[in-house]
Amino acid sequence: MALPRVVVTGVGAVTAIGLNTSDFWSAMVAGKPGVAPITRFDASAYPSKLAAEIKGFDPLKYMDIKLAERTGPYTQWAIASTVMAMEMAGLDMRKEKSERVGTVIAATGDVHKIGDETDVLKARGPRRIDPLFMNRISAHMAPVQVGKFIGARGPNSSINSACASGSDAIGQAFNHLRLGRADVVLSGGTDTLVSPICVATMGLLGALSRDAESSKEPKPFDKDRNGMVAGEGAGMLVLETLEHARARGAKILCELAGAGWSYDARNDTAPDPEGEALAMKAALEDAGMRPEEIDYVNAHGTGTKLNDASETKALKIVLGGHAYKIPISSNKSMVGHLGAGAGGVEAVASVLTMVNGVIPPTINYATPDPECDLDYVPNTARKAEVTGIMSTSFGMGGQNCAIVFRRFTGA
Amino acid sequence: MSAVEEKIKEIITGIVHCEGKALTPTTTWKDLKADSLDLVQVLVQLEETYGIEISDTDAEKLKSFGDLVAYIEGVVAARAKS
Repeated sequence: MALPRVVVTGVGAVTAIGLNTSDFWSAMVAGKPGVAPITRFDASAYPSKLAAEIKGFDPLKYMDIKLAERTGPYTQWAIASTVMAMEMAGLDMRKEKSERVGTVIAATGDVHKIGDETDVLKARGPRRIDPLFMNRISAHMAPVQVGKFIGARGPNSSINSACASGSDAIGQAFNHLRLGRADVVLSGGTDTLVSPICVATMGLLGALSRDAESSKEPKPFDKDRNGMVAGEGAGMLVLETLEHARARGAKILCELAGAGWSYDARNDTAPDPEGEALAMKAALEDAGMRPEEIDYVNAHGTGTKLNDASETKALKIVLGGHAYKIPISSNKSMVGHLGAGAGGVEAVASVLTMVNGVIPPTINYATPDPECDLDYVPNTARKAEVTGIMSTSFGMGGQNCAIVFRRFTGA
Repeated sequence: MSAVEEKIKEIITGIVHCEGKALTPTTTWKDLKADSLDLVQVLVQLEETYGIEISDTDAEKLKSFGDLVAYIEGVVAARAKS
């Protein structure tokens, strides 16, 4: 039995380079850097002093003060991105069966704040902690509050598979729709890596760029790349069955054609190209597409020595000689690494790439690396009619996910 | 309005965001459209402000603004005596 087809009808994003979808996309095309010295806390003693921070986001533009006070920024970004995506999709919940609309969002929550509240607990006792602590920091509060905000009573889940989470969530949402569990699913990811404990621990692991010059970091696929940069934000998609989109006369942006998952089962921190390739192959097979039908890869492209070399190898395993013929770029060069939010924002960028016929560049690229010898769209956006996009996401620990978008032709 | 009343009003307004609504002795949580999360935040704030512990049994009896003011004034008066 053929599974129902799934299409994207709306996207929304809140990132360091744009607080709304249109600003985000203009900045992507312009190759605008979102990375700057950390302002959220004093990072002078930290090995990495850079981040792509969201500045000037006003939650009250999207929600009342009570909800804003009860939610962490990651939940607020998810709500804002959802509102934008629904507006683009023209999705009116008053016309939907609420139990047929789901919410699947990748999130880590503000787990970095557990330490601060534990300090209060130890110093002042159990009656003095923030009673809404769980509401403000738990990962599941992102889909919970989004679902409540829009009145979606279908499947509601939070997904966490480290940096693969965002694509993982979209893949899980895709399956809900294909299995007939929902007509519409709001899906994507939201997260922040810009916290003292996160920057400290990832710095110790050697994952973060140690360069002080913000205008040149991170440098995905460059020979002199020396780590990723912490980022934050959210990216959300309106996914729906083709049948449902047609019935309500929605404008279809593209098709979500495939999703694939794998696990390295090797090393906690070092990526395994063969493991990554398994997810990409699975996504292509799921989409029923040949490697030659992919004409752009929205890469995981973190800017670490290991990731970018491993991802390049994995792309060659999956795409063969075709890997040399197609553009590949890293959104993280501009927005930093959004953790669980990365796959969501990169999915938004992938959809906009297809819709607008412009491939965002990999910025900060200067020196080719023999280990990364593909076309990374250095520094300048490129016009291109794109019909098949693979977006890759790999998590620390070895969880991998790839999703594939295809131009919707109506057939 | 007594100092205690003023303070409690400030705490409630800051948490429930019921600015513009009149707070009279008979105003209930329901009148303010406050939910259980509002209530727990108000109680924790009162405990912090007055250095007290409000038991669950006592908290259940505090249904209106007047109940709350009487309760806190009682605690403050008892403490002044001891």
